[in-house]
Amino acid sequence: MSTFMQILFSSLETGSVYALASLGIIIIFQTSRMQNFAQGSVGMLNAFVATFFLINTGVSPYFAAFVGMLSAFVTGMLVDFVIMRNAKHVGAIGKEIITFGLIMFFLGIAPMIFGTSPLSFPRFIQSGTFEIMGASVTHNAVLNIVVGLSLMTLLFLFLQKTKWGLAVRVTASNEKTAQLMGVPTKLITMGAWAVAASLGALSALMLAPAITVNVSMMDSVQISALVACVLGGFQTFYGPVIGAYIIGLSKNLLHFYVSSTWGEALMYLLILIFIIFRPNGLIGKKKIKKV
Amino acid sequence: MREVKDKRRGIDASKRGGSDVNGIDKKGKGRKVTEKKPPYKAYLLFGLFLILLPTIQKMGLIGSATITVLGTVIFYAIVGIGMNVLLGYSGLISLGTAGFMGMGAYLSAYLTADLNLPFLLSVVVSVCIPLIIGLVIGLISLRLAGYYLAIATLAVAEIFRQVFIEFEVVTNGFSGKNAGYPKLFGVIQFDRQLTFIFMVIVLIGLMIFTYNFIHSRTGRALLTMRGSEAAAQAMGINLFRYKLTAFGIATAYAAIGGVLYVHFIRFAYPSGWNLMLSLQILAVIVIGGMQTIEGPILGSFVVFGVPELILKQLPVIGNVDGLAYVFTGVLIVVVIMFYPNGMIYLGNDMKKLWKKGRKHGKEQLPASE
Repeated sequence: MSTFMQILFSSLETGSVYALASLGIIIIFQTSRMQNFAQGSVGMLNAFVATFFLINTGVSPYFAAFVGMLSAFVTGMLVDFVIMRNAKHVGAIGKEIITFGLIMFFLGIAPMIFGTSPLSFPRFIQSGTFEIMGASVTHNAVLNIVVGLSLMTLLFLFLQKTKWGLAVRVTASNEKTAQLMGVPTKLITMGAWAVAASLGALSALMLAPAITVNVSMMDSVQISALVACVLGGFQTFYGPVIGAYIIGLSKNLLHFYVSSTWGEALMYLLILIFIIFRPNGLIGKKKIKKV
Repeated sequence: MREVKDKRRGIDASKRGGSDVNGIDKKGKGRKVTEKKPPYKAYLLFGLFLILLPTIQKMGLIGSATITVLGTVIFYAIVGIGMNVLLGYSGLISLGTAGFMGMGAYLSAYLTADLNLPFLLSVVVSVCIPLIIGLVIGLISLRLAGYYLAIATLAVAEIFRQVFIEFEVVTNGFSGKNAGYPKLFGVIQFDRQLTFIFMVIVLIGLMIFTYNFIHSRTGRALLTMRGSEAAAQAMGINLFRYKLTAFGIATAYAAIGGVLYVHFIRFAYPSGWNLMLSLQILAVIVIGGMQTIEGPILGSFVVFGVPELILKQLPVIGNVDGLAYVFTGVLIVVVIMFYPNGMIYLGNDMKKLWKKGRKHGKEQLPASE
């Protein structure tokens, strides 16, 4: 039982990381109708920014994380302003290829600026553990879980309750009509890119203490987040988040109870089989394409 | 049976009054003559030029490393041509290219070095196994919306990477797998030059094959599909079947590329078959030119040749880490945004520009969908 609880809590922590990343992907998908494959690498680059800032100024990790998220916010805005806005004529596949180009660009530029050796980002809370039902959970893990969950709750409240949230949802459902109704879709799309990028940076920083800040740190997060979107369905904002927690949990369970080498591979295989039966994901509805 | 007949009529209708109910290829090509002659001569000339390169190297005009780089360009060009059938003609993205390449490479290395199978037989086996796996993945993911293929292949590539590390019998794990130059019919032992020439022959052969494939019934169906999936479907084109065919071709070419890789470089290492490589292959097509056969060759040269041959020679910035990635990444974005047809049209457009003088026509290039 205590082992299971231990797995449950560590899954909640990794689940939060995946959920933040996949939330970024789905926000962009909903507003721009394209998949952002560069979500992870934007997070990686800005995790470097935060760590570099931390090392050179010696501020607290919280402030460094804030700086990282801020620089990610700007990165996201720039990506939209410089590239995506001027690529309206390109089509969804072209835009996805642009994000592949961005991955290569960020992966190339990071070692140029910050050097090739991995940097280490400290935990937000250095020490201390809670004993919950036989499982020992670090304070830092609890913080990550709480921050992840509350940030997502806030975002959903924002989407459902505020006027700007309504604007986002309108843009998501039909951009042209939204434009005609006076919704500033350009601003919404730019905001979506900015928020997505800072969510990516936060997820990278949550992960950073465990695996150091390096260029390939977000590779597996990126894949898990995309698979979470497939699992949860691309049609709703909350589907991918649920998918992300399921992936976090099943990855750890398979890892512990089945095989430590093949757990992850097995999970991807199971999800591939799952989408045969539910092609639109757990929560997805079928979208009818009009000609 | 009736369905099949309808399908044929559908495709013919799309080509405005064709009459090849039996689907004879020759006839199809005959119709195309009005547009363009098959560029076999140009292909063969290009091949001849490449075949001469090792001799030129022996004469000391170009360095030995250049041949290695150009060999790299050739096998990535082959992978690119295959991927182009998928991306250019059916608009699907695969991110598992590197995985399929790796699988072909490891299988061929294992079969020739450890099991001592004849080279050609091992090539057939090491292309067929990735192809079968690719088709199974395609069967699952192509039923869904287009972008699922990208994610499914991404996940599969991750599984492959684990397989490459764990199946030490075949792949030799982290230490990497060695292979030798090919040995044809058990007697003709190739050296580096001959392997290079062999790769050129494979490249030219595949270019001609791809040209014929694109201009066959299947190719025309793919083109129709690319124009509008709904219209193609209405004409009775079985989207799923043709998408699967295109994915199969891409997988097979990737495996061939992997086989050539391992017998030319003579070494395969598990972390080499990563997402970055798949992205570079995508870059090859996008930069070179989608929906062309020559484009991937140019693209492969730009992505894999230029950084090695030119960028590294540059003073000061030549030794900066990640320069090649930045170069490729920026090129992808710029080409997609401003020159979506690819750099292969650069020569043509320059000529046009030259003819028109300063009056540059402002017609928009067709957007790549």
